[in-house]
Amino acid sequence: MPRLRLTAVSFLNTRPIVYGIERGLALVNHRFELRFDLPSRCAAAIASGDADLALMPLGSFADAPDEFRVVPGVAIASRGPVRTVMLMGDVPWEEMDTILLDEASRTSQILVQLLTRERGLAPGFVRAGHDRIADLVGDRRGALMIGDLCFSASARFRHVYDLGAEWTERVGLPFVYAAWIGRPDAVSPGDVALLQDSLAQGLVHRDEIARDWAEENGVDVELCKRYLRENIRYELGAGELCGATAFLERAQAAGLVGVGRKSVVRFFANEVRAKPASGAAPRSLDSVLSDAAAGVRLSFDDGVRLHDAASLCDLGLAADARRLALHPHGVVTYIIDRNVNYTNACTTACQFCNFYRPPGDSRVYTLSRAELTEKLQETVDMGGIQVLLQGGINPELGLGYYEDLFRWMKANFPIAIHGLSPEEIRYLAEREQLTIRAVLERLMAAGLDSVPGGAAEILDDEIRQRISPHKCSVATWLDVMRQAHSLGLRSTATMVFGFGEQARHIVGHFDKLRALEDETAGFTAFICWSFQAEGTRLPLRDDTTATRYLRTLALARLYLDNFPNVQVSWVTMGPAIGQIGLRFGGNDFGSAMIEENVVAQAGAVFKLSASDIEGYVRAAGFTPRRRNMRYEWL
Amino acid sequence: MSFPVLCQKVRSGVALSLADGLELYHHPNLLEVGALANEVRERLHGARTYFNRNLHINPTNVCVAACNLCSFSRRDAGAAGAFVLTVEQAVDKLHARLAAGDRVTEVHIVGGLHDGLPFAYFTELLARLKTVDASISIKAFSAVEIFFFHRLYRMSIEEILRRLQAAGLDSLPGGGAEIFSPRVRSAICPNKCGADEWLDVHRTAHRLGIKSNCTMLFGTVETLTERVEHLLRLRELQDETGGLLAFIPLPFHPENNALGDRPAPTATEALRTCAVARLMLHNVPHIKAYWVSLGLATAQTALWFGADDFDGTVSEEKIYHQAGALSPQALAPDAIARIVREAGRVPVERDTLYGRFSPAAKQEAV
Repeated sequence: MPRLRLTAVSFLNTRPIVYGIERGLALVNHRFELRFDLPSRCAAAIASGDADLALMPLGSFADAPDEFRVVPGVAIASRGPVRTVMLMGDVPWEEMDTILLDEASRTSQILVQLLTRERGLAPGFVRAGHDRIADLVGDRRGALMIGDLCFSASARFRHVYDLGAEWTERVGLPFVYAAWIGRPDAVSPGDVALLQDSLAQGLVHRDEIARDWAEENGVDVELCKRYLRENIRYELGAGELCGATAFLERAQAAGLVGVGRKSVVRFFANEVRAKPASGAAPRSLDSVLSDAAAGVRLSFDDGVRLHDAASLCDLGLAADARRLALHPHGVVTYIIDRNVNYTNACTTACQFCNFYRPPGDSRVYTLSRAELTEKLQETVDMGGIQVLLQGGINPELGLGYYEDLFRWMKANFPIAIHGLSPEEIRYLAEREQLTIRAVLERLMAAGLDSVPGGAAEILDDEIRQRISPHKCSVATWLDVMRQAHSLGLRSTATMVFGFGEQARHIVGHFDKLRALEDETAGFTAFICWSFQAEGTRLPLRDDTTATRYLRTLALARLYLDNFPNVQVSWVTMGPAIGQIGLRFGGNDFGSAMIEENVVAQAGAVFKLSASDIEGYVRAAGFTPRRRNMRYEWL
Repeated sequence: MSFPVLCQKVRSGVALSLADGLELYHHPNLLEVGALANEVRERLHGARTYFNRNLHINPTNVCVAACNLCSFSRRDAGAAGAFVLTVEQAVDKLHARLAAGDRVTEVHIVGGLHDGLPFAYFTELLARLKTVDASISIKAFSAVEIFFFHRLYRMSIEEILRRLQAAGLDSLPGGGAEIFSPRVRSAICPNKCGADEWLDVHRTAHRLGIKSNCTMLFGTVETLTERVEHLLRLRELQDETGGLLAFIPLPFHPENNALGDRPAPTATEALRTCAVARLMLHNVPHIKAYWVSLGLATAQTALWFGADDFDGTVSEEKIYHQAGALSPQALAPDAIARIVREAGRVPVERDTLYGRFSPAAKQEAV
């Protein structure tokens, strides 16, 4: 097998990523050939075929062909202050008439221009050489500075802005500076694993790397250690993917990078090796809880123990601590969107559903374009930015119907389509005799933006057999999501409980979602609620009360350690419990819904406006922010 | 004072101060406050959660007080929707419940301040209810009503209470306390008796062997300091008499009343107030999550935030439902037991005075 040619920049923050490769870890040694180069040349090396894979800045990725893929799990990112991408000057940002741009980093150049525009400012931008840029600052001339230079220069200027912090405060998402990027056939799943190993080794030796760098470059050791531990984040999970997409989209919209490229970030195929869970030796419930609160991965058995034995308060406290660690800004997000249930005809006949009508029933409907126009226009008028489009499995509607519908929606309304649960997608594949992937590709081409996590109920085939025998199997549900994520679509995941399931079913559901998220990083959020039984054909009297919901929510926050967001479900549980849920792990209040039909048919009839939601969020001690489907603050 | 020091005070049984109470309200982590209250609750009651089988009777909604906070009252007997039950009608309500197979153990009576009824109406009401079944406990007339009787019928508070006691009164409900601060009372219920009078009625009742409950209506115009001061006055009374059975936090409901333009307190605030009350009122045995006012979901959650009592089956609640409460009108004992069990607590049926207990039936009908 020919050796893979890698290109990377030699910065302090790249050292942990190439640590294993440089030191020739057993297998890595024979597989990779590493060369250091300037950032701007990394992308060119791929283009010219001089390298197979480059640790490429995101700004260069923006100009790269659509087909390029990203190595999962490895990135240079920040979520808050980064310390090495800074705007400095003698006057405040608002008063700068010129901003000098360090030539060494295109990504940072785009970032500072973007943030400047979003502040409503329009200074001139002038490129300058990295080595003398600090000396050119003066009067109303500020400068973007990058790298080690920031450590020494930040003391020299009165006004210093950390652009990593600025981004996250404005957008609510991490910022991704660089990742391993190459052509789709460049690396195998085994190579991906080796690259992840190299980083894992580097993370273990972060302090040593910092010390060596400090000695070589004459910088403060502690500064370097803190930089690698507290500022740079090396994971590339769902939050980072959303952050990268948000950056690419904003940069395109501002004309700072070439338009026409899709802003989706897609991974190379991945040989998944999940983070090890804790809990080899038997431990006290308290130590399981405190580990979970600190972000240690829960094992299946510990999940079951917490489910069965932890008290409501203790679960809540641990989940609240976890929520705070993941969302330290005290912000609770929500979206304005509308549920559009385009048809209620459905052949699935789930026992628990009170919304569907069998095809041929006199009460069957499929919304006309006129009805849709009214609903969509109303949504846009009320500040809505998305529709959640879900319906029954209606045998009269083929893929063409959806393609036409999506194209028509996109042509007429400025609105994102969060549409079609895995069950609907599976059905289209069956009906059209296409693969799930082909269906998703055609829907994406027609305008599908993201996939809702419905039809999951409990991801356990025994339980599904009992309550919804005609719905997709667990494997199919997961496969639709896997395919969607690999195409660059983001999705949510849901769980409905209260069907007489036990701890192992609930924790098993979490476990399946967590494993898939390790593989794809495609889930943005988890949402659960309890089964609303009224009027359905399922004669169940399971516990669906508030305290069970709060316990389940808290356990989800703890178990789903790789899910960036957990929504509360005020629509089904009521606003009071939705609000309390913000103290049991929830960081998102869901949607100011203009319409909801499915659970409303089963007795849940709560309605909240955006200002109601903001009231509940504030009264719980948080700051409300509107978001889009990526959880990007608006 | 730091929160850990405050926890230490609670664990060693030291009475909390006004500053402590405010710290509990301001502490950023609601669940830490809840867990601390839960410690006290479990120390006092373990997992037990009490409830009873009770019937609410509101003899009249005619009321001279015209409080801004109220959606129930009518100013004049002739106003639309005004009513006065005859003694017969009131007693029939109890008969109806018993005939339906409900083993009611308590009748809860509160009503408007009607200036056109003779005192004999009330004594007859009590006496007639007692003749139905003398073992059914009568919890009747808030301190505000007792004080109104004292003025209207020109008898001392003690005399009023003695006569009612002789007619069948067993205990007093805790209503009408609202917030003791005169500033707040003049804004929300200027014609109700003041704090000193309210406390004096309860003090007198306790001296006569009549136990009582106490309440706080929060979320109108009061400050947090005024809430904590309210709790402290209740605690002082309890130190003096020991006659208070339970404290009931009541979030304000804004519909159909003159204060309606302000938002109702939200669930997190209700839970916090419940927990603060449990921690401040270390000498009051029970904290009640009155589901009619809190809503079922919040009341159930409150069983982990200091509350140990779910109130009763109620049936025919009018006052909160007029103000927009969305809770059901009544709950069967089985339904209460189920909600309590699903909260991970042990339901225990009690009598009014927490003197006799019986475990709730293990299996409820499906």
